[in-house]
Formats: sequence, C-alpha cells, structure tokens
Amino acid sequence: MVKKRSDVYSVEIYGTKDLQKTEIEDEEEKHKDSKGNKKKKKAEDLKKELDLDDHRLNTSELEKKYGTSIDKGLSSARAAEILARDGPNALTPPKATPEIVKFLKQMIGGFSILLWIGAAFSWISFGIQLAQEVDSAFDNLYLGVVLALVVILTGIFAYYQEAKSTNIMASFSKMIPQQALVLRDAEKKELPADQLVVGDIVEIKGGDRIPADIRLISTQGCKVDNSSLTGESEPQSRSCEFTHENPLETRNIAFYSTTCVEGTATGIVINTGDRTIIGRIASLASGVGNEKTPIAIEIEHFVYLVAGVAISIGVLFFIISVSMRYKILDSIIFLIGIIVANVPEGLLATVTVSLSLTAKRMAKKNCLVKNLEAVETLGSTSIICSDKTGTLTQNRMTVAHLWFDNQIYSADTSEDQTTQPFDQSSPSWTALSKIVTLCNRAEFRPGQENLPIMKRVVVGDASETALLKFSEVILGDVMSIRAQNRKVAEIPFNSTNKFQLSIHETDDPHDKRFLLVMKGAPERILERCSTIMINGKEEPLDSEKAEAFQTAYMELGGMGERVLGFCHLYLPENEFPEGFQFDTDSMNFPTSNLCFVGLLSMIDPPRSTVPDAVSKCRSAGIKVIMVTGDHPITAKAIAKSVGIISATSETVEDIAKRLNIPVEQVNRREATAAVVNGMELKDMSSEQLDEILRGHSEIVFARTSPQQKLIIVEGCQRQGAVVAVTGDGVNDSPALKKADIGIAMGIAGSDAAKNAADMVLLDDNFASIVTGVEEGRLIFDNLKKTIAYTLTKNIAELCPFLIYIIASIPMPIGTITILFIDLGTDIIPSVALAYEKAESDIMNRRPRNKRKDRLVNQQLAVYSYLQIGIMQSVGAFVTYFTVYAEQGFLPSTLLGVRVDWESNAIQDFEDSYGQQWTKYQRTYLQWTGYTAFFVSITIQQVADLIIRKTRRNSIFRQGLFRNKVIWVGIFSQIGIALILTYGLGHVTALNFTPLRFQYWFVAVPFAILIWVYDEIRKLLIRRYPGRGTSPCCPSALTNGSEEHHPGRLKNNSEGKELLGPACSEIKFISTRANPDKEQQVLLVPRLFLNSPGEPKVSGLTFASGAREVRADNGAVVNKEVNV
Amino acid sequence: MARDKEKRSCGQVVAEWREFLWDPRTRRFLGRTGSSWGLMIRPCAEGLDVTFNVSQSQTWLQYVRALHQFLEPYNDSVQAARNAACPAGRYNEQPDDSVPNYPKRACRFNRSLLGPCAGLGPHGDYGYASGQPCVLVKVNRVINFFPGKNKSINIVCAAKVNYTQPVVAVQFPNATANVDHHVECRLNAAGLRTDDERDKFAGRVAFRLRINRD
Repeated sequence: MVKKRSDVYSVEIYGTKDLQKTEIEDEEEKHKDSKGNKKKKKAEDLKKELDLDDHRLNTSELEKKYGTSIDKGLSSARAAEILARDGPNALTPPKATPEIVKFLKQMIGGFSILLWIGAAFSWISFGIQLAQEVDSAFDNLYLGVVLALVVILTGIFAYYQEAKSTNIMASFSKMIPQQALVLRDAEKKELPADQLVVGDIVEIKGGDRIPADIRLISTQGCKVDNSSLTGESEPQSRSCEFTHENPLETRNIAFYSTTCVEGTATGIVINTGDRTIIGRIASLASGVGNEKTPIAIEIEHFVYLVAGVAISIGVLFFIISVSMRYKILDSIIFLIGIIVANVPEGLLATVTVSLSLTAKRMAKKNCLVKNLEAVETLGSTSIICSDKTGTLTQNRMTVAHLWFDNQIYSADTSEDQTTQPFDQSSPSWTALSKIVTLCNRAEFRPGQENLPIMKRVVVGDASETALLKFSEVILGDVMSIRAQNRKVAEIPFNSTNKFQLSIHETDDPHDKRFLLVMKGAPERILERCSTIMINGKEEPLDSEKAEAFQTAYMELGGMGERVLGFCHLYLPENEFPEGFQFDTDSMNFPTSNLCFVGLLSMIDPPRSTVPDAVSKCRSAGIKVIMVTGDHPITAKAIAKSVGIISATSETVEDIAKRLNIPVEQVNRREATAAVVNGMELKDMSSEQLDEILRGHSEIVFARTSPQQKLIIVEGCQRQGAVVAVTGDGVNDSPALKKADIGIAMGIAGSDAAKNAADMVLLDDNFASIVTGVEEGRLIFDNLKKTIAYTLTKNIAELCPFLIYIIASIPMPIGTITILFIDLGTDIIPSVALAYEKAESDIMNRRPRNKRKDRLVNQQLAVYSYLQIGIMQSVGAFVTYFTVYAEQGFLPSTLLGVRVDWESNAIQDFEDSYGQQWTKYQRTYLQWTGYTAFFVSITIQQVADLIIRKTRRNSIFRQGLFRNKVIWVGIFSQIGIALILTYGLGHVTALNFTPLRFQYWFVAVPFAILIWVYDEIRKLLIRRYPGRGTSPCCPSALTNGSEEHHPGRLKNNSEGKELLGPACSEIKFISTRANPDKEQQVLLVPRLFLNSPGEPKVSGLTFASGAREVRADNGAVVNKEVNV
Repeated sequence: MARDKEKRSCGQVVAEWREFLWDPRTRRFLGRTGSSWGLMIRPCAEGLDVTFNVSQSQTWLQYVRALHQFLEPYNDSVQAARNAACPAGRYNEQPDDSVPNYPKRACRFNRSLLGPCAGLGPHGDYGYASGQPCVLVKVNRVINFFPGKNKSINIVCAAKVNYTQPVVAVQFPNATANVDHHVECRLNAAGLRTDDERDKFAGRVAFRLRINRD
C-alpha cells in the first residue's frame, strides 16, 4: 500500500503490518495521555531504554549478534526478511489527522453546528408543511438547502485555506531521498537509506548524513557533528574504541541524522527508523501535547459568545411567539431566522483569509507559518527564549578586537564589511598581519572571486576562517601573499601544543632569512617569547609589559571572545641558510625566545539587526531570554552587546564584584540581570527557577542542554507567559512543541525541529521574529475591527425578526437576504480591514494579557450591538417604512397586520389609500421591502467600515485613502448590492426586486450619523482616556495641557510623575511651558527605563530654573531636557 | 456551429434583458409595473369555495348576509350622497392642480344596477334560495391606474357552466347541482395582463362553486 504524506518525511512505503503497529502504538500513547504526566514518564523511559550494549561488544560478537559478516555484509534475502520485520529505516511521521477528519472538523466547527440545526429545522418544517399542503412549503426546503450549502462552502473554503498553508510547508521541507553505501552479498551497493536494516555494513564519508544508528568498526579521522542531537557545537571525533559506558558518550557509535563532517568510517547498523535515538526523541516530541493557540481560544470564546446570544434570543423569542399563539411551526421558522441573523456566517472564513494574508506577508519577511493560528500567537508572545548561535549572532567567527603596541583596537564585525577602520599605520600591525596571513591553513574554495569576501566559502575551521577573511579584507589577495612567502615547514594545531607554527621564505628577495610564525593560546605563546614588539621595535618583555598583556588578555577574554596570541622570529641566516631542511618532528629550529607581536580576539558577532530588534522587544514588553549551550562569559558578552542585558543592569556577581562583597551577601532583588549556568539549573527546583524567572528581567541561560530548554519553557509558562522558543536541533523539538509558538531555524534547523515548530524562520534571524510579532499584533487589532464591523449589522438583521414577531408587521427582511449580506456584500470589506495599518506604534505596547485582553470583549460587543447596531437598525427601518408608505401603507396600518397580510385568501388587502392588493402584489412589496432593508444595511455598513478603520484615532488622522483595499471593499459592497437588486432582481427565488433608485438614499443620513457619532466617541476617548483604554507607551505626551495621551502625567509632591508602561523614548509634543515653577522635576517610573541605555527624552521645556528627569528610584536620567 | 449557438443564446440573453428593462407588452420598467388589477369575488369564502345546499338555508344564509353587508355602501342613497354622477366612457380624473381637491368624489355605482344580484327584492337572497346564486366579481381599487385605455372593459367568466351578463355581478342561473364548478373570471381589456404566472389574481379570479340539491 502506497501512502502519500504531505509532510517533511516525503513519500514512504508502508507494509500493512507496519501501519497496524503504528496504530497500536498510538493507542498506547492515547492510553498514556489519559493517565496524565506521560511526558515525564516517557522522558525517563527514554533514558532507561538506552540500554545499548553494542558499544561494549567486539567485532565478532557484533557479527554474531546481528547475523552479519563484516566482509560480505548481509545477503539480500536476509536483508529483505529483516526489512519486512522491522519496516523501513525512516521515522514514522507524526500521525497526520486524516484529511476527511480535518474536513469534517471544518464542517461542524464554529457556527456550523448552529447553521446545521437551522437547516434541519427548515427541512422538518418543510416536511410538515408539505404534509399540510401549504403552498410555501418549498421555501423552507430551499432555505435548508441554502443553509447547508453555506456551511459546506465555508467549510470547504476553510479546509482549502488550511491545506494550502500546510502544503507550503510540505513543499518547503521536502527532502531528497538519501542514499547509503551498503555492503550486501559481498558487493558495495548504493541503496536508498530507508532500505537499510539492522546488521547492514555501511560506509560513510565526510559530508554524509549518518543513515542509521551505527556501531563503528573502522574509522579514519572521522568526525561527526552531533549538534542536532546533543547541542554540542564542536565536531566530535569518532573511532572504533569503546570509550564510555554511556552509549551517547562513547566514540564508537554514530547516530542517525547527525552528519559526518570529515574522514571516513565503516560500521554496522544497530538501530533503524523509530528505534534510533533520534526516533525515540522524535516520538517524545510528539508526546508533548499541542496546546490551543491563543487565537483559537479567542475565536472559540467569540463563537460561544455569539452562539450564546443567538440561542438565548432564539429560544426567548420562540417562547414569546408560542405564548403569543403563533403556531409552533411558525415559531420554529422564526427561530431559524433569528439564528441566521445572529450568526456571522462569513466571519470565520474572513478570519481565515485575514490570517493567511498575514501569513503570506510574514513569509515575505522570512517567517514561514505552518499553522495559520500561530500568526497571532507570535503577536501575543510575552517571552522569547532565543538561541544564541545563528539566531542572535551571525554564526561565524569574526575578528572583533586586536591588541598590539599596548593598545586595543576594535574591528568591524558587521555582516558586510569591506574595510577595517582601525589604525593600520604601525609597523607592528604589518608584522602581525603577516603572521595572521601566513600561519593559517584555511583557504577559499576556488571560483568565488566575484562574491563578497564575507560570503565566500572557506575550507578550514572557524577561527582560521575568521582570520583568513580578516586578512583578505585588509590585505587583499591572501593566497598570492602566501605564494610569495613560500611555506617550508608547518606544525598544525593540536590540543597538547596549543599552538600552530609554520616557517616561510620571505617575499623580500634580498632577505634570505626564514620567518617563523606562530599562533596559539595567548599564555602559551607568551611563555615562548622573550621580547615584544612595540611600534615595530622589539623590546624586552619585562614584567610591566607582561602585565599589560595580562590586562588586555583578561579584558578581551572578559568580553567572551576567543583570544589568540601571535609571535614570530626571523631565523638567523647563518644558522638556517637557504635550503635548510626543517624537520617538524625533531624540531630542529627554535620555538622559544620568540618575539610577541599581538593578540587577536574573535567572536561570533551579533547580527547587526539584532540590538534594534531586542530593544523593540523591550518596548513591546517582551522579555528576551537567551538560552545557549555556550560559555557563560561569551553568552553574557553577546547578551550585553545585543541588549538582552542592558548596559546599566548588573547580575548578582557584578554587584558582588563592584561592592567587593561575597555573592551571598548581595541583595538579589537589586540584580535585574541573571546569568544561569546549565549546571546550576540542573539542581534547581521548579520553585527556584520560577523565582529566577520572576525576579530578573534580563536572563541568560548558558551551558544549557537542549533538554533543559523544555524546563525553561515550562517555567516561563508557569508565569502565565505566552512563550516563543527558537530551536534547531532534534533535541529542541520537545521544547518547540511545548512552547506556545515554536520557531525552527530554516537554515540550521533539523527536520525534526521544523516538524515540531509552528513557524520556520527562513533566515534564522532574530529580527525576523520581531517583524513577526508586529504582524501578529496588527492582525489581532485588525481582527477586532473585522469582528466589530461584522457584529454591528447582526442587530440590524435581528431586529426585523423581533419586531415582526412582536408587532406583527410584514416581514422586513428575508433569511436569504441576510445570507446575501453576511456572505456577499460584507465579505470583501471585512477582509479589507486586515490590510489596515497600525493606529499607533503597536510595538510600544505590552503583549496582550491572554486572560484580560480578549478578541471580543463586553465593550466591543455592547458598542457594536447596542450603539452602532441599533442606529443601523433604525436607519434600515426608516427605509422600510418609507418604502411601504410610498406604496400606500402608512406605518400605523402595518402594525398587527401579519395574519391578514400573509393570508392567501385575502386578495384585496386594503392600504391606507384604500388601494387593494392581491397576495402576490403584497409579497412583491414585501420583497421590495427586503431589498430596501438590504440596501440600507449595505449603505450603513459603508459608514461602519470607515469608522472601524481606527479604534481611537480620528479617521482623518489615519487617512481615508491609505488603505486602498478598504475602497475595494466599499466598491465591491455597493457593486454587489447593485447586481443583486438590478441584475438578479427578476430571479424570484432570491427575493430581490429592482428597487426605485431613491430608496438607496434613505439610509444615507443614518450612515453619516454613524460616522459623526463614532468620531465624537473617539474624540472623547482621546480626551478622557479612562482605565478601559489599553496602556500605551507615552511616546507622545503633552505637557501643560490637559491632553495626556497616551501616558499620563500626575502631580505629586516632588514634581510631575509619568504613568505608563515601559518605553525607550519619551517625547513631549507640546513645548508649552509648565506654569508651575515648583514642578520642575519629572519623575519617570523605572518601568520606562528598562530599555538598554537611557530613554531619550525630548520636547520637554520647563519654565525656568533647574530641570531634570529622574527615575523614581532617584537616579537622574537626563539633566538637560530642553529642546 | 457551437459559436453560432452561443451567439444566439447570447442574443437571447440580451433580448431578455431588454425585455426586463422595458417590456412594451406589459409596460413594465425594470420588471415593475405601475399596477395591475386584482380581482376578487364576493361572497368571499374560505379557499374561494362557494358551496351550499339549496334546501338547507343555514348553508347559504352566511353568503347572503355577507353580500348584504358588502353591498350596503352601494345603496343608491349612499352613493347619491357621497359620489358624483360621471359621464360614461370617460375617466373621472380629479387632479390636485394647485389646490388640494378634497374630498374627492368617485363615480356613482348604484346597487340597483346589479339587477337580480342587487339583493333588493323581497327575498333579497341573491338567488341562493333558488339555486341561482350571484357571485360578485370585484375589481381592486388602484390609484393612478387607467385600465382599459379608454375602451370599455368587460369580464368574461369561463367555466363549465353557462353564465349571464358579464358584469360585476355574475349569476349562475342553471348551474348543474351536486357538481364542482371551477369558475375563472377574467378582465377583458386592452393592455391588461391576465396571464401572470405568479399572481393568480391579476386581472382574473378563480373559484369553486358547488350547489347541492337534495
């Protein structure tokens, strides 16, 4: 059976047996789910299950155990047998929900169930009426069919949208089938990796992905990159020896999905597919339940709210109509009408479209969203746990600082450097640059001359690459310099020597001396030196100079940089004449009493966009926590340079150092920052972790294992935060799953991580997350607008039914007409609101509190339903009565006429003028009424659309024409209404009639009224921002006038105090002088100051005398604030 | 070929549209018409069904009473007091030129004109007692509507019975007893449609008449 799966594991072939097994496993898992705390149990299971003993066995034992032969491999027949037993060597993709289930979910989710009930009622009443031979019975049949169609079509639409976004993911992550070199039937064969079975002998070489868990039996300089499994970033060497009891630590096992970086190896396959270590972790990840996304919760809340209103009004009026002696059947039909009027049929589709539009926009900004709802989750994120390497940093070593001539120079570490600005005139630099250039084995891959230097691919390790690029930038063609200074001998770097040495001929034809250059660990290099070069001259290395070296070394090391020392020696010509044979084994040349030249320090520098992005996060109230496997010092240095730890804040250790007291005596509350070591984390209880997460605003977790990430995420979630987590390794996948939004790295990320994540960051850049947050927040705001817009007209659709029942007037609007509003005229405008630009700087606002800031709150519902909604209903009824009056029925004559009006026996119904109407004429008039009602709702919805563009600001400030899509919406709305009335006006079933043109304008004054009313409301809100308004950063304050927006100024004994949340910039709009001379101190809450550095205060003028801005803890922030 | 077909259907669509915009036959603009005349009968029974038994007076007395009541305003005395005598063959227009023309006076329609169906005789039973029932075909009042284009209008009642003078009152003098008669009365006038599919009462009225005799 061939099954195509649209997920990251591409196409796989399954035996039926295997499928059954998966199902059984799933069942077991469900069972565990029901028991609860299955995850912890599974994690422990995982550790226990690692009772591999293959690393202890010798070759012949292995051969015996797996029934294989190292020389011949398995026979094809045996391999086929095992394959049939174990299944293919591939990870079982996480069980995808069957498409039909997904489809059915769309069919019954949300409001669909209500509409199904409506349809069912329609069909029941059709059946009854058919039995009673009522003429209009078929109307109910059609209505039922229309309702069912609406549900099915919106369901298909939502399903299609969902499937489309899944497909993007699938196409993105489709893998090329991997091949493996296998020994079978004593022949080497290339086989697809999924055909591997236990006992196969495979050969791997540098660059290959390890095709299964392999016990190595012969190796040559083999190194593997285990980072996706263990998080260790350095390649690990592999050999055949059993080096550690723990199978994860021993060197003779290579794991599935890790990569062989260099060398070759042969090994026996010991585990395949889901039984590999990676496979077990992947299943652990799938055990971590997916929580509902915040927007899904919001939408559910909204659906419950609206459905609650619909059902309660429906039932209430059902009871009223029954007690008013309506027939039960009629009452049921009213109930259907009320439900249809109350349910915003098109809204969920609109929300889906809006989300997918945002998803598209985010994809353009390198955030690929797998799950549409995750779009908004990112917006409500309050904590981001970010990786360091590659996400915050450029993921490449770069020379950051130099020390020569007793001075530290800074180098440019940006991504696109073309020159280096530091002073290069000193002869010491010339000497240093020569060592850097020559004592380096790294080389550019050929054929990249046209690429910028920073983008070229280099063969060599990270530090050497950094040095090569550094010298290429400054000196130009390094390869030709090396050619001119021919290398005659070399000792490569090794961990015992901790230095690298090479001997060169010089490029000066008159200088026949050899040049010995050396680099390595600074202290080791210094040991070998007796002199030091200062301004090109060798000077003896006395203790004073040695101390200067120490200071510089400590300083550079303290910045988390990897420091290298450089020294050289011109070998005397008489001892080492031309053609001297250097022997690196016997070291027939001096390696001491060298001349120290300088230090170079390297770091994986932060991406240039990151500091800005971090500060944006801060002003957006998002806590950024760094979680890295790196050394605490490096981690802290990067955290400082990108602003995760701000310049002014201190850790407990910093305070201790400053005050010169032991760490224990420091008041922990004073430290805003914390650097937590993975080792400490290991021994911490969850309460202690909670305290750290609560107590410090700036946190760095260093030396953490990917498993600890999960603990950190859970800790953050205990604080009630919406947590975003970045990750790339396989081991990150549980954390990615656990997080509210898991973000996998598109470039560095493993498939398992991408699979577990909700979002994939295509450029691995932290800054992209921030743009994602911005989009997420915007869409939440805009969805609010969309919902407010959509809900408003529900009242205008509902009132007709209520008044029809109570006042017995001819039916003002038909159920089908309502559907034409909900699914016709209103759709494009409500999608258009998704294109609305942000009103104020949404990144200066705190993340929404998922418990308080709901998508639909009482305020929104009341304003939409009871204010604008009622106005709209009045407008529509005025149109209705106008039409009837003009046709001969004055409003007073319409009251209580329902029974006669709808009677088929009365063909001479008399109007106010004594004209007499046949039933059909009355029905036609009723349809004209429907059309007029419809048209006036449409006209008023135009005004509703315009007012919904903003929630606080005046429309004129937002600009009427900035969002062109709104106009598309307005024109579509009117266009559809025109087509329905005049184009389809003679299609009886639709109940539209070609309306007299003047009726279009009856509602226009009401539309204008709605607009004016809302502008006044917005003005009042701006003038008197009460508690109800969401707190904004006071990026704009007015001083001296009453308008304190959006922050507030409060007088207190010391001066004016600024109230509001965090921000990095405080700007005063008005420069009007403060008349009160007493108040010349502006107190800024510390909250404002949590951004890196000082907040910029501008625009503030004091009348006279001293002026200062003070933080409320007393620290003077900014003395001169005059502009 | 296919092209031709498509063109023709396209032409048809255009023609249909043009007809929809302005139908000269019915003088409808955008599917609307100023008005059309509705017809109704009296006595107006449930389901337009006039059924009675000649020998059982209680079965038809209700019809007689209804007709009496209906025709009260048509009494000659009332008509003389309220309405004006109009010259025949001309529309009686009462436009509000500059001053409101109030009260407006309609043309006199005297009950006595209905002859045997006036119910003025000593029996006043509109022929029900004798099995020759009268049914009044009433034309709806529609303001600003000029039916018949200045030509005389008559009403034709077609059924499986003979019928008398096609005037407003229709008497069925010798309808077969104990049989359902499906009667349809149509207005017969220039420019009046009586074949509207949707409005079964536009310019026509259909009812069932059954006279039972023991």
